[in-house]
Amino acid sequence: MQSIIKVTALTKQFNNLTAVNDLSFSVQDGDVYGFLGQNGAGKSTTIRMLLTLITPTSGTIEIFGYPLSTHRRDILQQVGAVIEKPDVYKYLSAYDNLKLFAKLSGMKPTHQLLMDQLEMVGLANRAKDTVKTFSQGMKQRLGIAIALVHDPQLIMLDEPTNGLDPQGIADIRNLILRLSCERKKTVIVSSHLLYEIEQIASRMLIIDKGKKLVEGAATELFDTSQTILQLMTADNHTAIEKINQTAWAKQLLPVRDGNIIISLNRDDIPSFNRMLVEKDISVFSFQPRHSLEDFFLQVTAGKQYVDTFTS
Amino acid sequence: MWTHLQVELYKIFRRPRTYLSFVAITALIGVIQLGLLVDGKEYTEFVMADFANTFSVDGKILNGYFICYIILQLLLVHVPLLIALIAADMISGEANMGTLRILLTKPQSRTAIVTAKFLAAAIYTLLLLIWIAVLGLFVSMAIFGTDDLFIMKSSYVVIVKESDIFWRYAGAFCFAALAMLTVSSLGFFLSFFAENSIGPIVATMSIIIVFTILSTMNIPIFNIIKPYLFTSHMITWKEFFDFKVNDANEAMVGSIQYPAKIIKSALVLIIHILGFGGASILLFRKKDILS
Repeated sequence: MQSIIKVTALTKQFNNLTAVNDLSFSVQDGDVYGFLGQNGAGKSTTIRMLLTLITPTSGTIEIFGYPLSTHRRDILQQVGAVIEKPDVYKYLSAYDNLKLFAKLSGMKPTHQLLMDQLEMVGLANRAKDTVKTFSQGMKQRLGIAIALVHDPQLIMLDEPTNGLDPQGIADIRNLILRLSCERKKTVIVSSHLLYEIEQIASRMLIIDKGKKLVEGAATELFDTSQTILQLMTADNHTAIEKINQTAWAKQLLPVRDGNIIISLNRDDIPSFNRMLVEKDISVFSFQPRHSLEDFFLQVTAGKQYVDTFTS
Repeated sequence: MWTHLQVELYKIFRRPRTYLSFVAITALIGVIQLGLLVDGKEYTEFVMADFANTFSVDGKILNGYFICYIILQLLLVHVPLLIALIAADMISGEANMGTLRILLTKPQSRTAIVTAKFLAAAIYTLLLLIWIAVLGLFVSMAIFGTDDLFIMKSSYVVIVKESDIFWRYAGAFCFAALAMLTVSSLGFFLSFFAENSIGPIVATMSIIIVFTILSTMNIPIFNIIKPYLFTSHMITWKEFFDFKVNDANEAMVGSIQYPAKIIKSALVLIIHILGFGGASILLFRKKDILS
């Protein structure tokens, strides 16, 4: 598959702070590429370098096969982006903002195209209202409409679900999936919401303190068939003793936050549940933990730099 | 670049703040005109008190040209604030709103973006001056009529013939445009160093106030630096109203007493405009957008 983005040894220093350190990764055509890291890990700095908002101290960026440093305008013609907050001109209407940015993207937008774009993000009925009357979610949707108005091939979304309610988050998730599946766009999404990334990303990169920890396909980074379960029982101590008497004992993990943690194959969950009933263990709650969250905590807490293990 | 300039002008003139300057100018000029319309006679008597025994004035001192001269003298001190409100906000305001980053992700060169912003601020400045000219000169001419222009300098009196005035105002306004464009470019340049517009606006005004004080104080140590301060050259528009006289001590119509002074000051101001503009482009091309 063709590499849409190829980043090599990218480094950015701000005085004594190294925000991004020798970072290399690639994004393939059609990927929904999850970009994960704790606050201050260097995600936004990297995305800003991909958008030429920040000049790298060293390293190279190639997008669509061309060096970004020498083909900035041609590359940005095919890129749409929402960076952190979707700030637009608050004294202008949604329609005027969209029209203005469409013009700056080199378009001569028709009324129908602008209204279709606003319709896509559910703002057609507020087209003529000034943005200062909009909620955060509406601004976010307008930001996405602005990013997509020129029909870019590559879309970069930096924390696109920030400040959104659950419905807003679900809408963004569905929009990203639609863009990828129906319109064959390549999407880079940075987020601290691991569950969201887990649901949409085909490949992902985890960085910490500006360095790459892991990069690869989601299915290869962690075993999705293996589920971490979190149990709360009437008496955890007795429950652990009883589980230890069974074949499930070797799958128990250390107790975390007062909960029993066990790693199970998804297919084994019913029989494990039956065992709990047979052993007369009173279970108050029985919840799966998100596997990406565990993986993320494991790699970021361990500060273990792992090479890319996918081709 | 033309598209971007259109967009920048559209943004400027869709902001209510922009019209505050035009409203303020209208109010200030209106107040001056109303005051002189109501009490102009006493004002001219007061101004002429020292000459009353020496001169016999035949004609109308309080005419449209005289009012415009007063307005220009008063307003060109205060207009820089109104210009700084927009020019010093061009980059810092966008950084503050967070729109700078979205703007720079669009396929436009940074040079084109900053040049368009610079030109938009300059056009706003020129429109403000044209508005001053319309209200200060043409409306005053309509209200007060026209006659010869009587100007008192520090040690002499200048009387400019009515037929010789209009082109002098055209020159004075063109020169004032250079002076105000210098203010605009200074504000624009300073807007690169902040992420809210208050700092650059205050900095622009502070520089102008300090430089103006230094320009006007007659202290030897300050006299050395005066030629290098742009504020010393901003008031050179007045030179358009000083003419040469012939051997019979009659005014030479169409002449200017010190044209070299006007040219020198204009060059100094142009150098400042180009300097601030060029520095802005260079800075913007290298600027990391962290807002």
